[in-house]
Amino acid sequence: MNKTYGEGETAVHALKDVSFSIKRGELLLIVGSSGSGKSTLLNMIGLLDRPTSGKIFLDGIETTTLNDNEISSFRNSKLGFVFQSANLLSDLTVLENILLPRKIQRTDENAVDDAKKLLRTVGLEKQMNNRANKISGGQAQRAAIARGLINNPTIVLADEPTGNLDSVTAEIIVQLMKSLVKKLGQTFIIVTHDKHQFGDVDRVITIKDGRAFEEEEQRGMEVAAS
Amino acid sequence: MDYRVHLAKRMLTNKKGSLIGAVLAVSIGILVIHVNFVIFQGLYDAIVRDLKDYRFGDILVSNDEDYIDKSDIALINWFERNPYVEAATSRLDGSASINATKFGKRTEEFRIPVLGVDPLRDTRASAIHNTVGDGQFVFARNSLVMGSRVARDLGGVEVGDNVRLKFVDRHGEDQLKRFVVTGITSSAGGQGLDGSVIVHIDTLRSILDRTDETGTILVKLNDPTKAVEIKDLFLRSFPSDDFKAETIEESAETQLSGFRSGIALINLIGYFGMMSSAFAIVTIQMMLVSSKTREIGIMRAIGAKRMDILTLFLFQGMIIGAMGAAAGTGLGLVYTFYAKETKMQFEGSLALEVTYNWEKIGQTALTSFGLAVIASIYPAYRATRLLPVEAMRTV
Ligand SMILES: Nc1ncnc2c1ncn2[C@@H]1O[C@H](COP(=O)(O)OP(=O)(O)O)[C@@H](O)[C@H]1O
Ligand SMILES: [Mg+2]
Repeated sequence: MNKTYGEGETAVHALKDVSFSIKRGELLLIVGSSGSGKSTLLNMIGLLDRPTSGKIFLDGIETTTLNDNEISSFRNSKLGFVFQSANLLSDLTVLENILLPRKIQRTDENAVDDAKKLLRTVGLEKQMNNRANKISGGQAQRAAIARGLINNPTIVLADEPTGNLDSVTAEIIVQLMKSLVKKLGQTFIIVTHDKHQFGDVDRVITIKDGRAFEEEEQRGMEVAAS
Repeated sequence: MDYRVHLAKRMLTNKKGSLIGAVLAVSIGILVIHVNFVIFQGLYDAIVRDLKDYRFGDILVSNDEDYIDKSDIALINWFERNPYVEAATSRLDGSASINATKFGKRTEEFRIPVLGVDPLRDTRASAIHNTVGDGQFVFARNSLVMGSRVARDLGGVEVGDNVRLKFVDRHGEDQLKRFVVTGITSSAGGQGLDGSVIVHIDTLRSILDRTDETGTILVKLNDPTKAVEIKDLFLRSFPSDDFKAETIEESAETQLSGFRSGIALINLIGYFGMMSSAFAIVTIQMMLVSSKTREIGIMRAIGAKRMDILTLFLFQGMIIGAMGAAAGTGLGLVYTFYAKETKMQFEGSLALEVTYNWEKIGQTALTSFGLAVIASIYPAYRATRLLPVEAMRTV
């Protein structure tokens, strides 16, 4: 898969011949320095943007041929997102934010119960009726994780989820995510510039200048030019 | 409740400035239309009312090109047998030259219209006697009621003064006649007979030597909606008399057609006002959309379809439109109520005929609601074109 921003002389080749596959239930870290193309890659996997060339299969579906509505539905039901900063809707309460993917999906039964269960899991039940812009950064990130999980997605994508947090709060988020992976058996793809923060994980892919490298024992097995 | 309605409401209540601005834009547009309607339609209806009360009645009967020579009593009786008719009266028009001697000074002679009335019947069928401010209405053969403009032009004629009128009778002979001024008429708005004099119809008949002739029969109905019906019945009942019968709308047509196009123009201006509030809403909605770029991106990222975003901002337009329509209509009704109570009659000016035109009120409210929604289409569409990645980058 390739992604090029812009055209001609100003074109940026953000991703060059990146190819890999992920198993269900894996915790995959994407690491690399700033500007290396990590967000670009995550946006491609998250169907937030389309690759310039190449294909992306998710859950056996070739996503590059889907239309905008199908992609929206796919994002809604199969993907969960956690972004770097303030990605809650400030007009809504914490609970309403977490319910939003369900509302978009229009499957409301048990939604509030599910949301409350998730709120307990991430430790936010006390703040659930607060406006989303009236909670701390760490709490917002935990709410975002809960929102990312409410539709029981196949893959959870997180782009530097601790990037805007102090180290103590960041550590709490890291531990929360790691425990969720164990508990839920969902695939987590987490972008970070600090791989040590996450300790032991299933796999690590390093991006350097738009190219992907598999680390350690898996090296060479799944990363290949396409 | 649909989450998009809920979110639209929250987004608006958290942007009170924009909400108030947009609601004001809609409601001021509506208020302008209400004020225009009260003033110009009120003026129009007031003029129609006065023309009807003073000059034309609900139905005015005349002869096509001559005087009516059928017995006026017979015709009046024919009308008054109809249960929808309140009263009818005969009138005769003429003209005369007039001058006066006031404080030893003779004013220049000039011509004025003279109206002959049947005092008792006229009092029931018309309201012209109500315009007599000083003195009283015609009561004797030699009494004359003078329009206030005539009295002024004659140098300040007052009740009790003598005046001499010079008529030209049907044979072309000059006829001089002396009258005592028994009353002065003055009508707010000037639709009355301020520029004429009123005398007894029999006096005028004998001066002009038109003893059994009548100029017009003025008919007052107790149910004005029956005017056309009664008019047609009358014309069918007297097929061979060359009668002409006109409802107030027809009689007043020449006086009012210009006014009506004026009202149409004013209404047009009102609708332009509404259009400019629609443009204000486009601007405010564009501002709201761009202030919500990040939110739109997040919603798209978590699966909202373009249609959801479109609907969200259209709901926002509906909320603005509904609030604006409610506020504008409320303000308009308060103003209309005030205008109806005071008749906007200050210092003796014409009393406006203020009505609540519910059809037009509803139509105005619906139109501005519709315009607010239409004005939201483009901003809402723009919102749907935002790409999630691009939208979220703008933090
Ligand atoms: N929309 C865009 N248009 C042009 N260039 C972009 C765009 N998004 C990212 N880039 C460029 O692509 C490269 C990779 O960016 P990104 O994926 O955000 O890196 P990372 O997340 O690893 O910091 C950078 O050089 C960046 O400037
Ligand atoms: Mg990045």
